[in-house]
Amino acid sequence: MALDVSKFIKAPEYGITIVTYRDVFQSSVCDEDRNGKECERLSAVIVLDATEMKRMGIQDGVNVRLTSKCGSIVVRAVSSPREEQKGIGFMVNSPWSNALVYDETTDGIPEFKNIKVKIKVTNEEIMSHRELFPL
Amino acid sequence: MTEMVTWTCTGCALLCEDIQVSISDNRIEHVENACMKGKARVFGCKEQAVPTIHGDKADIDDVIKDAARILRDAKNPLLYGWSNSTNEAHIAGIELARTLGGIIDSTSSFCQGITVNEILSGSVPSCTLEEVREKADVIVFWGADPMSSHPRHMSKYSYFPRGELRQRGYEEDRTAISIDVWQSRTAKICKNGFHRIPPGKDAEFMRGLIEALSGRVPKLSFDYDVKRILELAATLKKAEFGVLFAGLGLIYSIKEDITLLSEFTAALNQFSHYSLIPMAGHFNMRGFNHTLHEKTGHIYRVKFVDGKAISGVEYSVIEQMKRNADAVLVVGSDPLASLPGSISKRLKDIPLILIDPCMNLTSRVADVTIPCSTSGIEAGGTAVRMDGKTMDIHALVQGNNMSDEKIIERIIEEVG
Repeated sequence: MALDVSKFIKAPEYGITIVTYRDVFQSSVCDEDRNGKECERLSAVIVLDATEMKRMGIQDGVNVRLTSKCGSIVVRAVSSPREEQKGIGFMVNSPWSNALVYDETTDGIPEFKNIKVKIKVTNEEIMSHRELFPL
Repeated sequence: MTEMVTWTCTGCALLCEDIQVSISDNRIEHVENACMKGKARVFGCKEQAVPTIHGDKADIDDVIKDAARILRDAKNPLLYGWSNSTNEAHIAGIELARTLGGIIDSTSSFCQGITVNEILSGSVPSCTLEEVREKADVIVFWGADPMSSHPRHMSKYSYFPRGELRQRGYEEDRTAISIDVWQSRTAKICKNGFHRIPPGKDAEFMRGLIEALSGRVPKLSFDYDVKRILELAATLKKAEFGVLFAGLGLIYSIKEDITLLSEFTAALNQFSHYSLIPMAGHFNMRGFNHTLHEKTGHIYRVKFVDGKAISGVEYSVIEQMKRNADAVLVVGSDPLASLPGSISKRLKDIPLILIDPCMNLTSRVADVTIPCSTSGIEAGGTAVRMDGKTMDIHALVQGNNMSDEKIIERIIEEVG
């Protein structure tokens, strides 16, 4: 039986900044059913520049683990149809992006739109909201 | 019998007052003119809240009594949420906070509250959305994407309509500008008026524009065509009636330097007439700021000590949930979904009362759940639109639950 060596190779990590945004389709679906699968499908996504994805060895549609200094989540990576600024990932504002937000502030306003994370490819499943906040 | 009513939508802080709803036998059948957000609001959530204590179904009177007990026993109760409630519910909430000697704060604490503060303090000029529709010729969306956050904004007020002084509409009479970190849906409409800047560089770009308005060539630390910023300054100067819609992309980026907004509008107003409107999200985020300001002189983050209101960052929802609050009453909000994950995790450890029409993520950790009617659907009152205009909102149908206002009043009676 051939040995699958890929599981012993650590996926490389890259530092990026996540900027969050609003999306009317996601927010409408989540307003209707915040616990639903469709809300999860539209929320647990990071959008990246296609060239950047190539550089980081991330294929369109694969799962990636995002780790900040206060949280770690698994979401799906998709390439932007447009050229984006390098070193930036875009996530719709949701419990998934918020799980990465650091709560230390001097002004009572956390950095919801400036989240420093490490990104790496993973075989793990996308985390459900229950896994984001285990009881 | 089917009845058609004209309704003011509570899907977002635009409070569109031209929604047509057909109602039959106390059921909403059909909605016209509303956007996706409005329709989602009208038809409500899939899973409605029920009265519970520690996850077990309970009588509504018992849950109210239990909520009152938790708040009465707490040394440092926090009352939080309020952006999906009417001004009348805000008044009741402020009274409860005063009675408890507790803290009251809203989602505006980490949203557009600081922008509203600049307006209410008179530092930044503002105007109404009707003035924008009738007069505005240069419209700047900075860190704002109304096509995603307030879908009817551009069609109803800011760009596409004919206006009294803008009869040629967007084709000839209006110029839309988007300053953002990516090409949002709104930026696509702005076409050549889109200016892409790096994240966190809004203050520098704004200072660059102030320089350019004064005829100086700005120096920027990032790669940006100087000719374009000079052209943008020239466009801004030529406006007869300009408006800056400040989105969270801008406000989060300049939050430590928020007085820059007044510097920028003052610089613009040396040449033209400019106003600023915050892109408030939830339908009555701004109403909480106005009501609290009227009652206490502060717009958010208030603690009552011997009946006197004091305000400070230490009384913000973020600081209180992180450390000090020993009981939390959440009204019409979902902190588990909307606050930083680390704070959300702490909510499991402190007594939490949730007043909401729907089950949400926070329901999972709530010790007491009190279902309320949906404001603007099953309960009426007043609300403040994103531009500061107070609007009447009316119930469409009769619900099974009390309004949040009534529930708060009942809790006040119990706390006694």
